[in-house]
Parts: sequence; structure tokens; C-alpha cells
Amino acid sequence: MDSLNLIREFLDGRLGVPPQQVVPAATLATLGVDSLMMLELVFECEDRFGVTLDKNLKSPKTVGELVVLVDRLRSEQG
Amino acid sequence: MSQRRVAITGLGLVSPFGGDLADFFARLLAGESAIRLLHTNDLPRPLSMPFAGCPGFDAEAALGRPLAGMLDRFAQLGVAAAFAAWDDAALPRAPQGDEREDWGVAWGTALGGTMAYEKGYRDLWQNGKERLAPLSLIHGLNNAANAQISIQLGLGGVSMSHTVACASSSIAIGEAFRRVRSGEAAVMLAGGSDTPQAYAVARAWEALRVLANADEASAPYCCRPFAAERSGLVLGEGGAALVLEDWDHAVARGAVIHGELAGYGTTCDHSHLVRPAAAGQVRALNAALADAQLTTADIDYVNAHGTATPEGDPVEIDALRSVFGNRAERLAVSATKSLHGHLLGAAGALEAIITVLALREGAIPPTAHLEHLDPACAGVDHVATARHQQPLRAALASSFAFGGSNAVLAFRAVAAQP
Repeated sequence: MDSLNLIREFLDGRLGVPPQQVVPAATLATLGVDSLMMLELVFECEDRFGVTLDKNLKSPKTVGELVVLVDRLRSEQG
Repeated sequence: MSQRRVAITGLGLVSPFGGDLADFFARLLAGESAIRLLHTNDLPRPLSMPFAGCPGFDAEAALGRPLAGMLDRFAQLGVAAAFAAWDDAALPRAPQGDEREDWGVAWGTALGGTMAYEKGYRDLWQNGKERLAPLSLIHGLNNAANAQISIQLGLGGVSMSHTVACASSSIAIGEAFRRVRSGEAAVMLAGGSDTPQAYAVARAWEALRVLANADEASAPYCCRPFAAERSGLVLGEGGAALVLEDWDHAVARGAVIHGELAGYGTTCDHSHLVRPAAAGQVRALNAALADAQLTTADIDYVNAHGTATPEGDPVEIDALRSVFGNRAERLAVSATKSLHGHLLGAAGALEAIITVLALREGAIPPTAHLEHLDPACAGVDHVATARHQQPLRAALASSFAFGGSNAVLAFRAVAAQP
């Protein structure tokens, strides 16, 4: 599974956000992701892709920023 | 500041019988038991015990998926009950203006987020995980229910959680009552919620040897307060909430008033962790009566703590005999745990709702399965079958907890207002 689909699956299951709304330009906060849910989303990415996000990392604002971040870590750490 | 009268304007519950108040009370009056035998396939040994669960409770339907996912089951049950009470009080969910900045929540839970912590232990020690899900701590917080209630309803005043074993929600209601009566808050939402479904929690109750004996067939009838053949209590789960409101505030907005919370007494036996003492209960009963400016002659019904343990029941009747003296034999008493089980930190709030409904409807639900009264529990008017068309003026609801903490709430019927 790619990063975008993982984020779509998570937001559908956790918040009921339709997958078609989860596009790279979408703001995570607008989709309902607050700071606590961001922790859950990061945890899910780490668990599923076997990567580790630096806990001091600046939090991504959009779906696209998160995808880029996770994909970079997958290529570096995978 | 003069003392305010405290109206009860909202009742809400998630009970083993569901959340419909009229249906809930009708089932109690009909003597219908919600208790069934629970089987689980837990390791290292399957669990089997009589239990009054809420299998029909759908947290996502009641709370919405995002909020339900933020909460452990005890808090889901609690927030759902709070929403139901708020809706029953005809108060909008969203605040308008800053009126609610001094409104608050007082919540009782004996066990809190034990299911969340147990999941964490299992993940680490049984499932081989090296770390826990990020919300593990949030799910486990004992103040998760009252915190979310404050957030969801925009309540800016005090948000308290009370953990006083089986008196938790009675004490929460009493402490909320004092804040409304003093004028500190025009509205307080009070209640409690609990579930004992964490495997280790259920096993801990089992180890204390206080649970009723039952098999599949006998489970619905196994909780027998005051009966000679009683064998112990039955655990239950659920949430129950009351909206307590300054009487004048309630009248001004045209609220329906279900009853008046008139007094509250709380004491400690200060003698033993699990063996109750009549003297402490007597002081709590007298304190509630004095606080409500009621006498024993005014009380037409007592919803007893009545857990059906061999030790507890005679002590409670002894205390009632001491307080009511010559009137005790005419005092209607029932223990509805025989039907809905012991909801632990939610028990006091659930039984407060039952007491308010009894006063409002003029009907007393029974102590079920009371065919053979234990002579040690004699001396009051045990209500063994439902009574209808009762002109009830005032009533007490008692909660007597492990730890020796006692709480008694005194209610007055709206029709009996001075």
C-alpha cells in the first residue's frame, strides 16, 4: 500500500472521512486531524511501513506534505 | 448568598435495559431481569459470571465515530448518558453566549479506564508489542468522561471526577448539588459510568468471593437482596446522568422538572475496608434528612444499596431500623440491583434516576426474587412486587461503598412541593 492510501484508510476508519476528500492539497486540520490524532496517524505510518519519524519533526500541514515525508523516510530507512 | 432549590431537569442513561427512560422503568416495575451469564474466552482461563451488560450500546451511533474513538468504554457509556440527560433537559448541545462558563460536571467512576490499561498490559506482555498506541494514556484517564462532557457541552465551570467505589456517583451528585444550591453554578451535570469488563478486574471481584453463584438458567434470578438464599452481588455496566438546575433558572426557561434534589449526607464508617458499619450509615441517613429539612415521617420510599451480599444487607436494614424507629415497619424499601445489577461507580446515579421516576410516577419497583426474607433483614416494608398508584412525597437513595464511604440523597416529588 502506498502512503496516500494508508492515510485514506486511516481517516476513513477513524473519522469516517470519504477517501475522495483525502487529496494531497487537503489540510489535515480541515479533515479533522488534531494534534492527538496526528500522533495516531504517525504511529500508524510507523507501524505499517517500519519507519521512524523524528518526534521533534515539524508537523505536516497537508496530506501531500505527510505523504512526501513518509515516502522520503521509506526510501531512507526502508 | 441564600440557598437555592435544586431542580432535576434532565435524566439520561445507558443501562442494561437500554436508554429509553419509560421503557427502563416499565421493565423494572415488571420485575424483568437484565442479568445473564457472561462467557468469555480470555486467557489463561475463560471467564463465566452473571453480568448485566449493555450489549445493545452502539458508541459510534451515540457519539459519532471521531469521539467514540477517543474514549475507553467507561467514558463512552458516560458521555452517552450525559448527552441523553442534556437532551432530556431540552438544553442545546452547543453553548449560546457565555452562560455556561460557571456550569460544571461532577462524575463518578470506581474503575475508570481499566480496560484501556489492560489492553496496554496485554499488548506489551502477551502480544509481544514494544510500544503502545498513542492514545493509551488518554483512554485510561479516570477523568476522561467528565473532561469530554465539559468539552462537548461547553461547560466552563468545575469538572470533577469522584472515585469512591460504589458511592462514586452518589457523591458526585451530592457535590454537584451543593454547588447549585450555593449559587456557584446555575446548572451542573452529575452522574457516573463504569464497566468491569477488564478481565483482571472481573477476576479481582471473583477473588474477593462476593459474586453471586449462577449458571445459565439461574443467572436472571441470582441477585437476591435481603433473601435468605442470597449468595452475592452481580456486576453490571452502564452510565447514568442527571441535570441539576437552580429551580428559578429552570422555571424561567420553562424546563420540565422531574423532581427536587433536597438533601445529601455523606460519612465514613472509619472502621473497615469492606465490612460496613450501621453507625456510619445511620449518620449518613440522618445527615441527608437534616440537609433536606425532612423528617422520617416525610419519607415514603428508600431505594436501598442492597447488593445481596450476606454481610451488607442486614447492616443496611439495621441502619434503617435505627433511623426510622417505629416507622421502619411501614417504610417501603426496595433494592433494584436485583434487576439491573451493580453498576459500581454508576450505581448511585442509576438508582437516583429510579428514585426520581418512582416519585414522579407514584410507583415503586420491587426487590425481585424475594420469596424468603432473611430474618436478619426484617423490620422494614420490603417491596417484593411492584406497587402502583402510590402517593409518594419524598424518598431516599443510599450508596454504601467499600472503604466505608456512605452517601445518601434525599429527593422530593414535584407534586409535594411546600
